[in-house]
Amino acid sequence: MASEGLSYDGCNFFRQRLVLSTLSGKRVKIKNIRSKEDDPGLREFEASFIRLLDKVTNGSRIEINQTGTVLFYQPGLLYGGSVEHECNPQRSIGYYLEALLMLGAFMKTPLKATLRGVTNDRTDPTVDLLKSTALPLMKKFGIDGEGFELKVVKRGMAPGGGGEVVFTCPVRRTIRPIQLTDPGKIKRIRGVAYSARVSPQMANRIVDSARGILNQFLPDIYIYTDHMKGANSGKSPGFGLTLVAETLNGCFLSAEMTSTPQGQGDPVLPEDLGRNCAKLLLEEVHRGGCVDSTNQSLALLLMTLGQQDVSKVLLGPLSPYTIEFLRHIRDFFQIMFKIEVQKPLEDERKGGDKVLLTGVGVGYSNINKTLK
Amino acid sequence: VTKQKEEEEDEDEEGALKWKENLQLKASQAFLRQQESAPNLRKLVYGSVVEVEDDEDEEELGGLFRVSRPQNNKRFQANDLDSSHFHPDTTHNWDLEEMLNSIRDCFVTGKWEEGQDAA
Repeated sequence: MASEGLSYDGCNFFRQRLVLSTLSGKRVKIKNIRSKEDDPGLREFEASFIRLLDKVTNGSRIEINQTGTVLFYQPGLLYGGSVEHECNPQRSIGYYLEALLMLGAFMKTPLKATLRGVTNDRTDPTVDLLKSTALPLMKKFGIDGEGFELKVVKRGMAPGGGGEVVFTCPVRRTIRPIQLTDPGKIKRIRGVAYSARVSPQMANRIVDSARGILNQFLPDIYIYTDHMKGANSGKSPGFGLTLVAETLNGCFLSAEMTSTPQGQGDPVLPEDLGRNCAKLLLEEVHRGGCVDSTNQSLALLLMTLGQQDVSKVLLGPLSPYTIEFLRHIRDFFQIMFKIEVQKPLEDERKGGDKVLLTGVGVGYSNINKTLK
Repeated sequence: VTKQKEEEEDEDEEGALKWKENLQLKASQAFLRQQESAPNLRKLVYGSVVEVEDDEDEEELGGLFRVSRPQNNKRFQANDLDSSHFHPDTTHNWDLEEMLNSIRDCFVTGKWEEGQDAA
């Protein structure tokens, strides 16, 4: 298996390629990384990501050419254990964490990762969002139990960072197949309005404006305010909101918005942020499905790595990131999903078209896991 | 003179309103057309590999220089931002009652299918 290698162009979908390479054991070569740009080659945050990957694996071989435009990666064994990492603040911790969520269950020893850096920014899913959507999703695949946790210890807004999260994940030998075809109706909406190094009143203003919109649909809305002080509030000021809609069948749809980083672009009013975030949640509900748009690829990966059994999942429209992920799954695991569009019935008011994906897992079993 | 003008205006208006004839028919035809051309998602995702490699031929000038083409016309940007965020559809205006109504039944407060109950 390890003798085959795959080759790609450009730095887009960088993490997908390296994560799938690590799980499949296939070598990967990425060429022409920003080769036509004034500042060619890998960025700091990508180098930081590679270092993190190196920390959780054992015996990985990484070669980068002098300009940084070509990367060769030969994955080692997923080792896990206790890992600490300074995440480059060009990207938030979510960027790094998304990969660890995908790899966590397949380690040799349970993973305990302490990540430091920017906890909330506008480019990547924030740690709050991943905590409230990715973790419940993974539980459906049988990854749960004690020691499955994501804790925000310190908040660090962009651009300064200074936040800290701890992610612990138990090890699984096999992944359970899933049948998620009916999300059920949304019963409640929860959220976190956070603020750091600004007036705690900001969070309250966000909550009021978001509730104003969401109360048109549901009475059961509770948005927590989370104001961190002193050493736990990081280096930069900022605020934001994460909203999560929970359905009767235990599916989670989410939306989030963060204030513009200090010194970059026009400042946002907390009222506008609350309203716009609430509208983003409505957009996500309109897309619908059993998995929210951010976690589509995580769900598809765990379906791919499941036992040799049929898994089904109903999603909203596929995001461009997910479409590319499906192509990469085909490259690395030779798995193709059956993709069917489900149109809503005429008198149904349940948003747009949905997509039903059906696939058979490769029967991946975690050979790294130690026997007890 | 005024009568003539009025008549002309009437005619103009009739002409202008012609596009409104058979609106329902046109709409249903357009809908059917769209139904037929609904993209086969599987093909969109997995496609055929041959389609991707079409820009391989490079022009040469005087046998010395190669014409370098910017990669804008590629199917996707190879060096784009790597982020899982899915940006919202900008055509949706969530201030409109119509939009809000389109998702009413996603909530427990909406209409329930027969055979199901809130309890």
